[in-house]
Amino acid sequence: MSNDVVITTDAIEPTEIKPSLWTRYSSANPLMVAALALVLGLVFGAIVIATTTPVVLDAWRGMFDHWNGIPHAVFVTWNNVSAAYRDIFTGSIVDPQTFWHSLTTGKGWTASLTPLSETLTYATPLIIVSIGVGISFQTGLFNIGANGQAVVGGIGGALVGSMIKMPTFIHLPLALVGGIVGGMVCGAVPGVLKAYTGAHEVIVTLMFNYVTYAFLLYMVLSTPFQQPGQSNDISRTIYPTAVLSPLFGSSSGLRVSFGILVAVAVVIFAWWLLDRSSLGFDFRVTGANPLAARASGINAKMVVIVVFLISGGLAGLAGYVQVASTTHYIDGGFLIGDAGIGFTAITIALLGRNRPMGTVWAAILFAALGVGGRNMQALTSIPLDLATVIQSAIVLFVATPVLVKEIFRLKKAPTSLLTLSTTGWGS
Amino acid sequence: MQLELRGITKRFGALTANDRISLKVEPGQIHSLLGENGAGKSTLMNVLFGLLHPDEGEILINGEVVKFHDSGEAVRRGIGMVHQHFMLVPVFTVAENVVLGFEPTKSLNRVNYKKATEDIRNLSRQFKLEVDPNAVIENLPVGLQQRVEILKALSHDAELLILDEPTAVLTPQEIDALMAIMRSLADAGKSILFITHKLKEVKAIADVITVIRLGQVVGSAEPSASETELASLMVGRQVQLVVEKSAFNPGEDVLEIRDLVVLDDRGLLAVDHVSLEVKAGEVLALAGVQGNGQTELVEALVGMRHVESGTIHLNGKDITNLTPRRALDAGIGHIPEDRQRDGLVLSMSVADNLVLNTPRAAPFAKRGTRNLGAVSTNAEQRVKEFDIRTTSIRSPAGSLSGGNQQKVIVARELSRDPEFLVASQPTRGLDVGSIEYVHNQIIEFRNRGKGSLIVSSELDEVYALGDRIAVMYEGRISGIVNPSISRESIGLLMAGTSMEAAGV
Amino acid sequence: MGIVSTLLTPNEELTLKVPIARNRRTPVIGAIIVAIGLFSLFVFGLGTHAGSHSQLTFDPLNTTNAPWHAGTLTFDAHWTNISLGIVMILIGVEVLWRRPRRFVMGRFGIVSLLFLFTLLVWASRGPGPSPINFINVTSLLVGASATVMVLVFGSLSGIMCERAGVVNIAIEGQLIAGAFLGSVIASTTNNFFYAAVGGAAAGAAIGWVLAFFSLRYQTDQIIVGIVLVTMLSGLSSYLNLQVLTPYPNFNIGNTAPNLPIPLLYKIPIIGPVMFNQSGFWYAMIVLIFVVSFALFKTQYGLHVRAVGEHPRAAATVGIHVIRVRYINVVLGGAIAGLGGVAFMATQGQFQVGYTSGLGYIALAAMIFGKWRPSGSLVASIIFGLTVYLSYELVTYQVPVSLYVLQMIPYLITIAVVAGLIGRVRPPAADGQPYVPG
Repeated sequence: MSNDVVITTDAIEPTEIKPSLWTRYSSANPLMVAALALVLGLVFGAIVIATTTPVVLDAWRGMFDHWNGIPHAVFVTWNNVSAAYRDIFTGSIVDPQTFWHSLTTGKGWTASLTPLSETLTYATPLIIVSIGVGISFQTGLFNIGANGQAVVGGIGGALVGSMIKMPTFIHLPLALVGGIVGGMVCGAVPGVLKAYTGAHEVIVTLMFNYVTYAFLLYMVLSTPFQQPGQSNDISRTIYPTAVLSPLFGSSSGLRVSFGILVAVAVVIFAWWLLDRSSLGFDFRVTGANPLAARASGINAKMVVIVVFLISGGLAGLAGYVQVASTTHYIDGGFLIGDAGIGFTAITIALLGRNRPMGTVWAAILFAALGVGGRNMQALTSIPLDLATVIQSAIVLFVATPVLVKEIFRLKKAPTSLLTLSTTGWGS
Repeated sequence: MQLELRGITKRFGALTANDRISLKVEPGQIHSLLGENGAGKSTLMNVLFGLLHPDEGEILINGEVVKFHDSGEAVRRGIGMVHQHFMLVPVFTVAENVVLGFEPTKSLNRVNYKKATEDIRNLSRQFKLEVDPNAVIENLPVGLQQRVEILKALSHDAELLILDEPTAVLTPQEIDALMAIMRSLADAGKSILFITHKLKEVKAIADVITVIRLGQVVGSAEPSASETELASLMVGRQVQLVVEKSAFNPGEDVLEIRDLVVLDDRGLLAVDHVSLEVKAGEVLALAGVQGNGQTELVEALVGMRHVESGTIHLNGKDITNLTPRRALDAGIGHIPEDRQRDGLVLSMSVADNLVLNTPRAAPFAKRGTRNLGAVSTNAEQRVKEFDIRTTSIRSPAGSLSGGNQQKVIVARELSRDPEFLVASQPTRGLDVGSIEYVHNQIIEFRNRGKGSLIVSSELDEVYALGDRIAVMYEGRISGIVNPSISRESIGLLMAGTSMEAAGV
Repeated sequence: MGIVSTLLTPNEELTLKVPIARNRRTPVIGAIIVAIGLFSLFVFGLGTHAGSHSQLTFDPLNTTNAPWHAGTLTFDAHWTNISLGIVMILIGVEVLWRRPRRFVMGRFGIVSLLFLFTLLVWASRGPGPSPINFINVTSLLVGASATVMVLVFGSLSGIMCERAGVVNIAIEGQLIAGAFLGSVIASTTNNFFYAAVGGAAAGAAIGWVLAFFSLRYQTDQIIVGIVLVTMLSGLSSYLNLQVLTPYPNFNIGNTAPNLPIPLLYKIPIIGPVMFNQSGFWYAMIVLIFVVSFALFKTQYGLHVRAVGEHPRAAATVGIHVIRVRYINVVLGGAIAGLGGVAFMATQGQFQVGYTSGLGYIALAAMIFGKWRPSGSLVASIIFGLTVYLSYELVTYQVPVSLYVLQMIPYLITIAVVAGLIGRVRPPAADGQPYVPG
């Protein structure tokens, strides 16, 4: 038969990805696009700083007042922008000055390692929750209720951690399970509704976020969860037996905790699940082609529910890891608002292309932006929310690789970075 | 209108879909463009209709070079197109669809529906294409929908009508009606470009035949040329038009369907008390115009659609309302109607697609963990055994040609050694070589003494494969006949005529 | 030609098909209705002491504007709620039993309003014959009208976009942007018309970004929408700290003046709610008619709906699919931006996060309203009342945690979405990228 060269042109859309190119560049290209998206995100952030910082605006307003007005304004702009980014860097990775000081004198290691330790501390729950979100994305389910699931997980874990007294070896695992269960309960609702009524998970998970915030406030303001003797919205403190203690001992002064081992375990679990397990195969088939999944005998309802349980469970685990390695209690502002880890997780999972290792790097990057942003806010009074703005800009660019390539005039054929596409309301 | 194409070339990346195609259509002429699936016919038509822009070459109308930026311009220059997949908005009325893009308006930009309806009535009368302007498209049978498409083209004063595979969804009688319409339009001075891969129809209606293969014009032929000549021109080699079958040697009933009732997505009755049985060593071909319940019947067999009442037995075992998983495990092999939609995950590798519905079976997995080595070994074997042309077993299935994609599905289903094979439109959109291959595989399966149900709307395929032919119309079996019956009689059954009236 | 007509088989005649199966979602809605009814019966009815009374007043608080007196209603809270609860349960049972094909959502809407009424009666009950809490229905409706207004603007925005086939989940972000810019402009110019124009422009700009990414680059519409909301809430919080806090003059907190319509505003109940509102309210009413008319009567609307249902078919008759979608997404953005300004104009100052998911609830209202302006108006009224009541009832000292109450609107949204998806048919190409060719 000599017809193997015939390709059904009728079926090929002009924009369809050329597979040969896909296989050839899929390993290299996404990294480059991600890096360039980071650059674009930082540029966008710089523009936001330059156009909103009063000092900078004053300098530009006075650019014709003096012979060197314009150079001065440029100088002021550069100064502010670079200071902001320098503060982000030194606050999240390393401050060269203190690091050099430690290297030469052998002292002050705590101070010079603190930024990195803080970044990892913030990255730990982010990694866990983002991997959960990534698993749902790979299955074609858009779980954007991870924040609410993390809130309920935090509450669940903190309930176990603060209400019963037990030895560490049983208390800590039980509290972690409490977190997972809390997240699962919360994830089960959109999962079951999606499976049995077809309710679009985006609306349900979004709405459920608000439900959980109300639930959180209710919990921290009512006995027995409220801190005894307090009228504020603050919970009991978890017992030391349920705490994720610092990795290098509490005397080290570094907060990075054993939670990071939990994150490593989650990464390994996710790798096995997605790459090696039969269940994960079902997930990926469902995500890539739900109709083929159905025809090949995959129980779509089961997949939807299990994915939401896993995704929610991981979010809940992350919520409790956050509590157990940082504050040890929950207050009414726990993960509230759009800075909550569940929202950052959406962008992280997209940036990490829903793959476990990609997600780890993306989570560390975003944690660094967040931690560094705090440093920036403290030193330059530029608000921390800039980090959110930069993060979303990065993701917008990562989600649109063609645009990145156009901006940088790259020649390579467009490849889609996202394995995810959502469905309309009518699913 | 005289239309001329000169050296039209259209590339998609590395693929050249149209390679310097030139042809000329004269007024009052029915010009047939013949080519097998994948030869580049549809691409050429999309170029001509302004939906795609050619990389090289030019289009001339009455000797004047024209360039279309969108299909609106093509329409304004008198080109009308009846698409293979109707370009009708299902929730709109006939009137809304016909006037879309060219609406008569009143003040405040309002659409003048009164005038629109009136115009359509006049047009219907003029061309004897009766249709109710106020009917909603999705409630109309396919034949009428096509009539609306033709009306739409005519309402824009089309002088050249392109008909892209217009007969795929019609009964033989409806095809005759369409041919008559085409002829009368040509007699009225319209030019007609008729795109098809069906030799019989070309011979029946065309004035001039242009054959294209692999994106190139390979020659033209007279309508008097024999089918074999046309086929070899179209495919580029000698083609066997008949599948060799050993003698029909039926055994026990394998599949028994009793009083089956199934609803479609909208809750309408799709399968209406159907009873059928298929014997071992038999291919039962289920003929019928698409949309008469065949899809729903198949989906019910493989567990993808709820059975309202009635039973299905496989080898005496009740398999009514099983889940797809259990239906597969019960021994049903399934080649779905739309391979890219239901049969494959295009973004996943050939190897994964070859175990798509058996990922947990030994040796592909053990206690929930996949054995990727076994998956690869299996893929290597199948690729060799079924002659699947792919660069690697790790290539995504989407990178394969349509024929090889179908081979992946056939390989997967047959290598599971099912008790019974259900195949829907198993060769739709395939080139002739792949069609032969798939047919031979199905016949080989039959010769092993297994039963199969083949759903097809192509009469050629029905005749080639079926040991018996069941015809479905509006959810009922209008007749079960032997393949010795004439095409005309089958056509009458497909249009719902009773067995007696069809002279069977 | 004669041959053509003789070849017509009788089977080709138009046969209108009627579904014989009943919708599978109908029982879900029936079950939800029964659950709501049971809640009313047990909590609001049986949970109330026998003999306790409620009083609803209908005069506006400021009686100078109300020359015509509307009375007060006093009734037995216990038995009212019990009987209404039973009525609701009966409606639900009827839906479960008969599985009607029509007006299912209408029944749901009626039950929702009954539920809100029992809630009010329960909240305003007193222990004995004389009620402690007086609930002023008129001022309640006036208060709720602000929320209703935001939802109407939001769902109209959704309709504009989704009828053209683009899911606009960035409405929340457009509300935020409109409210922010609206507040800055209103504070600096003290002119709400400029604020409206500015807010609408901000919304339109965001709509353009959504269109740019999802139409030009076919980035998933929901992802772009979600990321835009994240970015805008981050940006609004950033700008709030960076600009509004140091310069409070940019965020004074004016509310738009009421423009009473002569005579009409004096009508009891209806007057204060309908005819004594700010310009935004009247703009909303006009907009409902304009959008309805434009989408369903005009050539433009036919093109939009064709693009949303079957873009390829639209393209074959020369309609520029991408252009139509751009126009509608930008216009939809402008409407949502206007909604943001309207919200700000009733609430006063811009505050971070004060839209609290109304943009998403507006999407649910759009679905409830079957992608039609009139339906969305009804849905917005139900949702708006629920949202407003859940926050407002706190002032009536109800013995249920404020936070439990605050869950209700979101839970109802979920219930509606769960009961409706699959029942109502969205535009066929909704959310699908269009690739020309």
